Amino acid sequence: MSNAIVESGATVRHGAEEGGPGENGREQLSMQQALNRALDEVLAESPKTLVFGEDCGRLGGVFRITDGLQAKYGETRVFDTPLAESGILGMAVGLAMAGFQPIPEVQFDGFAYPAINQIVCQIGRMNYRSRGTLPMPITLRVPSFGGIRAPEHHGESLEALFAHVPGLKVVSPSNPHEAYHLLKYAATRPDPVIFMEPKSRYWQKDGVDVSHGGSPTGAKVMRPGRHLTLVAWGAMVGRCLQVADLAAEDGVDVEVLDLRWLKPIDAETLATSVRKTRRAVVVHEAPLTSGLGAEVAQLITQGCFDTLKAPVERVTGFDVPYPSGDLEDEYIPNIDRILNGIQRVLEYRRG
Amino acid sequence: MDTLPPPDSGSAAVPLTSRQLRELYSLMVAVRHLDSSAVAWQRQGIIPGYAPELGQEAAQVGSGYAVDLARDFVFPTYREMGVARAMGVDMVAYMATHKATWHGGLYDPIESRLAPIQAVVAGSVLHAVGWAHGQTLAGRDGVAMSYFGDGASSQGDVHEAMNFAAVMKAPVVFFVQNNGWAISVPADRQVAGGSVAARAGGYGIPAIRIDGNDVVAVFEATRRALAHCRAGNGPVLVEAMTYRRGPHSTSDDPGRYRSLAEERDGAGADPLERFRQRLLADGTADEAFFAAAMADAKAEEEEIRAGIQALGPRPGEEMFSLVFQETTPVLQAQAAIWREESEHV
Amino acid sequence: MAEISFPLPDLGEGLIEATVLEWLVSEGQQVERNQPLVEVETSKSAVELPSPQAGKVVRTFGRPGDRINVGEPLIVFEVPDDTAGIVGTVPKDEAPKRRVRLSAVLDED
Repeated sequence: MSNAIVESGATVRHGAEEGGPGENGREQLSMQQALNRALDEVLAESPKTLVFGEDCGRLGGVFRITDGLQAKYGETRVFDTPLAESGILGMAVGLAMAGFQPIPEVQFDGFAYPAINQIVCQIGRMNYRSRGTLPMPITLRVPSFGGIRAPEHHGESLEALFAHVPGLKVVSPSNPHEAYHLLKYAATRPDPVIFMEPKSRYWQKDGVDVSHGGSPTGAKVMRPGRHLTLVAWGAMVGRCLQVADLAAEDGVDVEVLDLRWLKPIDAETLATSVRKTRRAVVVHEAPLTSGLGAEVAQLITQGCFDTLKAPVERVTGFDVPYPSGDLEDEYIPNIDRILNGIQRVLEYRRG
Repeated sequence: MDTLPPPDSGSAAVPLTSRQLRELYSLMVAVRHLDSSAVAWQRQGIIPGYAPELGQEAAQVGSGYAVDLARDFVFPTYREMGVARAMGVDMVAYMATHKATWHGGLYDPIESRLAPIQAVVAGSVLHAVGWAHGQTLAGRDGVAMSYFGDGASSQGDVHEAMNFAAVMKAPVVFFVQNNGWAISVPADRQVAGGSVAARAGGYGIPAIRIDGNDVVAVFEATRRALAHCRAGNGPVLVEAMTYRRGPHSTSDDPGRYRSLAEERDGAGADPLERFRQRLLADGTADEAFFAAAMADAKAEEEEIRAGIQALGPRPGEEMFSLVFQETTPVLQAQAAIWREESEHV
Repeated sequence: MAEISFPLPDLGEGLIEATVLEWLVSEGQQVERNQPLVEVETSKSAVELPSPQAGKVVRTFGRPGDRINVGEPLIVFEVPDDTAGIVGTVPKDEAPKRRVRLSAVLDED
């Protein structure tokens, strides 16, 4: 199927630093710290903001994202709820109706499922149902995606599910800098945002420029390139940057586009990138069928049909449940699978 | 609290024999040792994580021991190692879920009468009701045992399950281990009114609240509950008051939310030590027996650890082959690509 | 890694100091929450102090016979500041490995 040369045990240099603002004025923070700081500032800036969920208070969340916030803002603004996700999200609806800005957490992506009724039927529709009189300024934080060898339901990729729901916006940061700025932005919107945090990237430190975030909307080129665009979000952005370095060794100049907002998708930036490179591969952890990659591929086709050199390729998880830790690396797109996807696009010839 | 009608003078009232009492002790020692060893395995890098049940040995062994393996079916959470061991489940296959080999474990649920390990809090409580109603429909006399905790009792599914079971008179024992803590949240911040058992009354379900650290009391209450269900009287709720002496999981740090003094006061007497004293006092067992039970527990743990260490990853093919009974062309194509691109074929 | 210092707690009844009798753990040792750390003697009794948390012992203060005041450091633990959370493991940042090489004739039109 491919004329790619397969090399066993080849070692390569470490991936380059991620793109973004200049190094001046950058603090080295983990994504956990960056998110914690963003919540801290949002709580300080708006007295209507509330942070709550299972173990968010005294413990500071199972990933410590809300660490120290209850001590600082008190038990009325940062609080533990009983263990019931539908209850948490349903209550968020009522609090929003009462004029608050809830930032609820579901502890793990898989536990958004018990709340799906409130998310889909209520949070996504209340603004519409109320003819705009009851907006839903809810930011639902969801530790998301795989990569930590967790038990079942502690690693899921739900972006397509959420993106499909009218009335919801969906965003996923790829690094600490993005996490800080995107959360601060999302938490101050008048509409519901599903904020998908890549839990495998919580602890790696990277530069955060607190004062220069750049635009908080749309997609972002994390590495410019000429020959092909890799489109990714969340934890897959870092992997795609590694792939781009490896591809450069083979003389292929890859652009990496961090989609960031999975709804609304920034079709303009997507088209601008692919109009230049004329080739695209979209990478996600979620299963292939009806995954967000299909939406991205369609948007690229729509915007770049006359210049595309090959059909948009998808490198994704398989149509199987997230497997147990032992098989997780077989499921999540790895470097070789992404390189193979690139190769398929490169060698495509019309006719 | 005990609103369950007293047992008839049938088998549900027969006292445990000395042999059974000693067997219960041996099981508790085996479970205690395996549980603390599993925590050590995690520290040694043998397994990535584990949810300890330290302190809940009496609640788990006593209830699991009462199950009729020929008829009943048990729906566990992720913290039911003691129940599984008391039911005679293959413990390497059980622990495989904590080795991250396969979600749900590798044991055969049908054979062992234990549903796959459930990671979703309150995820399987309604399944128990469905299975139990199936017994009614099929004219069988099996009883479903549904395990859940104080934290799970907050989930809507639990209330739906209790209502369904009562409406349909389904033979379900809702076995609640109230261990005082749902990760960092104490039961008094979780269970309004303070008692899960008290809620059963609202559904017309008889309930017993017992000392979950007294293995004999747990066994007898479970046996009564099972007999009540088996006789066609509908569901029962048993709330076993116990204490999660350890962390929620091997990555949890209880020092962030409770003090050692709170732990000491909350935990009360060690259920294993209590039972030991009782057996000693009434002459059912002696020091030689206890020493032998401990030696057996150690030998058993070594065997299980060796099995876990030897347990390799499942073939990646199983990711694809176990999704459906009748696979799809798309999935077959994905499996073919995976084979081609994988290092592990 | 972060360090957490544990001071000698008030052992009750207004005692202000204690004498170290014997350390039951050594530096570099991994201890579990509740594991006995040290035996100390107050003016009332000898007691074993259980560990308030799990972690690696970095330093202990006081040798047998030394007095330590309540509130002064007794032991320092090292705890990972990147624990995964309640479940799972933090993935290691590893240099990317590849088997696949790209080959293509890239027209630059």
